[in-house]
Amino acid sequence: MTNTATFQWLILLAMTAVAVGLSQATLPDNALLVPVLLTTLVKGRIVIDRFMALQGVIAPWRWVVLGWLALVVGLIGYTFHTTQI
Amino acid sequence: MWFFILAELLVFGVFFLAYAFARMRNVELFNASQLELDRLSGAINTVLLISSSYFVVRAVDHIRHGRSRACAHWLLAAMTLGGAFLVVKMAEFIAKTEAGISMSTNTFYMFYLGLGFFHFMHVVLGMVILGAVTLKAWKGGYSATDHVGVETGAAYWHMVDLVWIILFPLIYVLH
Amino acid sequence: MKYKSQAVAKPYFIAAIGLFLGQISFGLIMGLQYVVGDFLFPAIPFNVARMVHTNLLIVWLLFGFMGAAYYLIPEESERELHSPKLALAMFWIFLVAGAATILGYLLVPYATLAELTGNNLLATMGREFLEQPLPTKVGIVIVALAMLYNLSMTVLKGRKTAINLVMLLGLWGLAIFFLFSFYNPANLVKDKFYWWWVVHLWVEGVWELIMGSMLAFVLVKVTGVDREVIEKWLYVIIAMALISGLIGMGHHYFWIGAPEYWQWWGSVFSALEPIPFFMMTVFAFNMVSRRRREHPNKAAVLWALGTGVMAFLGAGVWGFLHTLAPVNFYTHGSQITAAHGHMAFYGAYAMVVLTMISYTMPLMRGREANSPAAQLAEMWGFWLMTISMVLITLFLTAAGILQVWLQRMGASPMSFMAAQDQISLFYWMREITGLFFFLGLLLYIGSFFIKGKPATAKDPATARGLASATA
Repeated sequence: MTNTATFQWLILLAMTAVAVGLSQATLPDNALLVPVLLTTLVKGRIVIDRFMALQGVIAPWRWVVLGWLALVVGLIGYTFHTTQI
Repeated sequence: MWFFILAELLVFGVFFLAYAFARMRNVELFNASQLELDRLSGAINTVLLISSSYFVVRAVDHIRHGRSRACAHWLLAAMTLGGAFLVVKMAEFIAKTEAGISMSTNTFYMFYLGLGFFHFMHVVLGMVILGAVTLKAWKGGYSATDHVGVETGAAYWHMVDLVWIILFPLIYVLH
Repeated sequence: MKYKSQAVAKPYFIAAIGLFLGQISFGLIMGLQYVVGDFLFPAIPFNVARMVHTNLLIVWLLFGFMGAAYYLIPEESERELHSPKLALAMFWIFLVAGAATILGYLLVPYATLAELTGNNLLATMGREFLEQPLPTKVGIVIVALAMLYNLSMTVLKGRKTAINLVMLLGLWGLAIFFLFSFYNPANLVKDKFYWWWVVHLWVEGVWELIMGSMLAFVLVKVTGVDREVIEKWLYVIIAMALISGLIGMGHHYFWIGAPEYWQWWGSVFSALEPIPFFMMTVFAFNMVSRRRREHPNKAAVLWALGTGVMAFLGAGVWGFLHTLAPVNFYTHGSQITAAHGHMAFYGAYAMVVLTMISYTMPLMRGREANSPAAQLAEMWGFWLMTISMVLITLFLTAAGILQVWLQRMGASPMSFMAAQDQISLFYWMREITGLFFFLGLLLYIGSFFIKGKPATAKDPATARGLASATA
């Protein structure tokens, strides 16, 4: 339990580093958008399922929260994608 | 508590989307203003909140095994990081205020300052909740079988973290 | 009735109903003035009729809240009221001050009234809903403080429950925010800005606490559901009301000269304001369907359910219709606002006071419930008034949509008066429906005078009335 949590924490830190690193590099906008949003999605899922411990919860809670994450990140992706030059 | 968490997520979600759609109508302004942000302090704050969330996970794990003191210690550590988050964020706000920037400067800054402040207040509230839980844990008020309070406080704190996990890339990184 | 001192609520409720009757009469007068402009002119000009209509509304609701508080707080605190004499004295002061104010509006030109009552000492008059002369405003503060002292002492010495604490918090908030009515800066933007601290923070803030507490109290009594369950609901509802309502005030700051960011904050937070009202609906129906007992007062149960539904429709749905800044840009201050105002005030606050009256009045008159015949008349009153209000709201909404279309959209918009002429048909329909509302009110008042053996839980006539509501 403790070890997996530590592992997940390290993943979260690594993904943050990746996102920040990408933002420093001069990349075309789309090359930034997709990986950053993907890391956000994964990070969000780790927090929801592992930290909040919603994985395995039968009630609709888990799907509501995960759905929220997917919807928000998805729509952000959509608006940023359409505005790229 | 879960009802509140969902309501909070709803509010933040609406604001995130409002930001995204407002940006669609004014891409240049948002991109230009975003460059003026201190991305490093945003990144530091992400690390602080994520780690703090992890500490809370450890605290919950301890109380599940009935170790009240260890639980309180980890909660205290989590709150310390939360406090550090607030300090960094304050420094950011002060720098912006000194540069003469306010919510009325432009739409981007309205969102940056408004959402930042709104989230800031949630960190403060989260710390108050964690503080109350820590105090009770320290006094041995929870046990291996009865620790709903710890789990509820933890869930709120993770929510604050979750919101920041989206807020950071949205406002500081993506363009 | 468990405590003798609870009976001080009775005069408050009687006064509330009397003023309600006055409010509706003036509503009918000004409703007719919409289409027959010089009706009763110059005796009662439109602006005076409007002032009387809205002021009476506020005053009768305040009477209702106070009466409810004097009834509910001793029962929840499980002790007699700290000072029933003080409560009764305050009743007479408030009634006399209220009546004198209304007579002042009707008999003296407003400017003369302002001169006579010392408006030059501290100018507070002339603002919508806060038209009261200075002595009346000071009187309201005194009455409120005396009431708060009385109630707080009762709660402090007695049992503390979620219901009486929320009630007390709401009443304290009501008194504190009223103080902003004394602040009247010369700057028009600031004036409006703080004016909303009274108006908005009342109806979309602290009044919701009072309403939630009253509804919870009646539901505990008539359903017999565990207090713990009801209190949990109450906490969540009031928290949502405060979260959405406080920042939701921004929806009044769109076009008055306040900073532009309010358009975002006001839109987003006020879009959440329907949530607490929706929860109240779910709450009321949930508790009634889980009821552990059949209360003989079916009329009170019907009012409680009706409040839930109508508050959600009027305050929630009709509020949401025009709360987003881009929509409000067109609808601001149109008949849409009037539609929302009518159904929200009736559905939320008028009905919750009537719920409380319906539950407590029989008890104060020495029986658990009124006779089946009286309850039947009351239920008819309920349906007549409620359906009329729904229709009034629909007609005003139609009028509002047409008004916005004619007057504010298109390449060559019409002038205000030309647009008003085009929508007069809806005003006529509203006025006729208003007569039915009046009829419903008369029937409701009449139901207090119908005698007969008190109803028991199993009475078929009243049970049928309720069944049709819950079906």
